[in-house]
Amino acid sequence: MAAVLEPYIYEGGIHRHTLILELLEDLGGYLIQKTPAATEVTLVMLVPRDDVHLIEQLAKDLLGKISRAPLTGTEIAVVSPTLASHHLPHSACDIAEFLRRGGANTTMIGLARGMGRRVALSADYERRLINEHDIALFSFGTFRDCIINKKPKLFEGIKIPIVATGGPDLKTEEVPGADMYIGNIGRVAHRLRHSDELEGLDVMSEKVGMIVEKMREDIARDPLAVLPARIMKEVQEQIPEIESVYTPAPLTLQLDGLRIKLPYADFHKKVEDMELQDNIRLRDVATITPSKMKNYILVKVKRKSEVGIEM
Amino acid sequence: MEPLEIFKVETKIPEEAEAYRSILSDVISELGLANSIGRIYAIITPEYSLFQMAIILRGSPPLVKTSDFADVNIGAVTRNEIQIVLRDEKYLPDLLEKLWVKYGRGKVIQQDRKTINVNVENMDTEIETIKEMAIFDPKRTLLSRLVEMAIRGTPEGFRVRYHSLNSNEFIFVASEDAMKPEWVQQGHQMLEKIKGG
Repeated sequence: MAAVLEPYIYEGGIHRHTLILELLEDLGGYLIQKTPAATEVTLVMLVPRDDVHLIEQLAKDLLGKISRAPLTGTEIAVVSPTLASHHLPHSACDIAEFLRRGGANTTMIGLARGMGRRVALSADYERRLINEHDIALFSFGTFRDCIINKKPKLFEGIKIPIVATGGPDLKTEEVPGADMYIGNIGRVAHRLRHSDELEGLDVMSEKVGMIVEKMREDIARDPLAVLPARIMKEVQEQIPEIESVYTPAPLTLQLDGLRIKLPYADFHKKVEDMELQDNIRLRDVATITPSKMKNYILVKVKRKSEVGIEM
Repeated sequence: MEPLEIFKVETKIPEEAEAYRSILSDVISELGLANSIGRIYAIITPEYSLFQMAIILRGSPPLVKTSDFADVNIGAVTRNEIQIVLRDEKYLPDLLEKLWVKYGRGKVIQQDRKTINVNVENMDTEIETIKEMAIFDPKRTLLSRLVEMAIRGTPEGFRVRYHSLNSNEFIFVASEDAMKPEWVQQGHQMLEKIKGG
C-alpha cells in the first residue's frame, strides 16, 4: 500500500531550496512543479502524510512559507465563451490565477462561437479538448436568464464535472447540467481586487476544492493502477528529452493521468514502453493517446479492477 | 452639462443593473470618455437579447488648426520656404501627413523635432492655407471611441446593431435577432427622457 500523499506548496528563496527537494526525495514524495522567479521559487509537491512535519520544520528553518494546496495534481479547463475583451482577461484570468494558487494547472480555453444566447455553441474539437481535463469551469456573465436558460447548452457533450461561475446568486440546481454553480463572479471590466470580489474567488477556490476532494474519494474506491505522480517521475528518469521542454509544466498531472508535452509521433513508443516495475510497462496500466492540445501525449491510467495491478 | 450627470442602467433585476453599470463605467474610463459624455441611459432586456442605450454628449470640441499649435512664418525667401515651428508636438504626425499629401514628401523637410520647412510656389497664399489647415478633428476620434464603447459595453453576441449620431445625441440598439422598428423607437424615446433640463 502506497503512503498517503498530501499536496503542499512551498514559497521561499531560491537559496538552499534544494534541501527541500533532497528531503522530499528521501521521504518518497514527489515534486510536481518548480517555478523559479528571480530569487524566489515556488515548489508544488506531494508529501507523505506522516512526514509533513519534517518538511514544515525545514521550510521554517529556510524562512519559507509552506501551505496546503488542495488542487495540486489537477488540470482544470477555464472556459470562457470567446476570447473577446467582453469575456477576457477579467474575470476568467483571475479565476485561473486563484485556481493555480491552490496548486492546480489551468488551461484557458476561449470557445470560437460561445457568445450570445441563441447563437452560442461549441465545436466537437473544443468539447474533446475540454474533456481531457479533470474539471471544466465555465466563466459566465451577469444575467440570470442567460445562465439558467441559454448558456447551459455549452455543457452538452462535456463528460467531466462542470463548475459554472456567474454574477447572480443562484443555487446549483437552478443551472441545468452544472455540478456546481458559484455566484458573485460575473462579467467585470476591471481586475478583481475589491474585498468582496476576492472573497468570491476564495469561495470559488474552496468549492472547486470540494469537488476535487469528492473526485479523489471516488477514485480511492477503485484506485488507479499507478499514481500519476509515479509516472511523472519515471518519465523524468527514462525520457531525458523532457528536460529540454520549455513549457511551464512539461508534465501536467491530472487526477487520473497526465499530459506529457512531447510530440506524440516521436515519443509515444518510448512512453508506452516505459518500464514501471519488473515486466510492467506503462501500456499495461494506462491508455496513451494523442492529446487534442497541440500534438502532446495524453496518458490516462486504468483502474485496479481493470488490470489487477496496484503499484 | 456636467460629465456623467445622468448615468442610468435599467434591467428587470436591479442587482444586474448595478453590475452592468460597473461594466459600462469601466469601459467609459478605459476609453477616456468620461469628460465627453453628459448623460447616459441604458436598458438591457436579456429575455429579448436586447441592449438599448441613449447618450447625450457634452458639446463637441472645435477642429484643431495648424495655427493653434504652431507658428507659421516665412523662412528662407530665396528658396520660397515656409517655416513651421511647433509649440505642441502632439499633433506632429497628423500635420506631417497632411503636408505630405498636399506638397509631396520632397518638399516637406523636418529640420529638427520642432521645425518643419515647406517649399512652396506662392508663399503669401500658402502661408494662410497652412495656418488654416484642419489638422485634427476631436469629433472623429470621439465618434470612434464612442462606437468602441458601445460595442465593448454590449453583450458580445448582440451583433445586429443600429446606431445614430445626430450632433450631440447618440443612440445605440443591439440585439442577437433581427432588429425590430419598435426597439429603435424605444431608443429614441429614451433619448427624449434624458434630454430635458
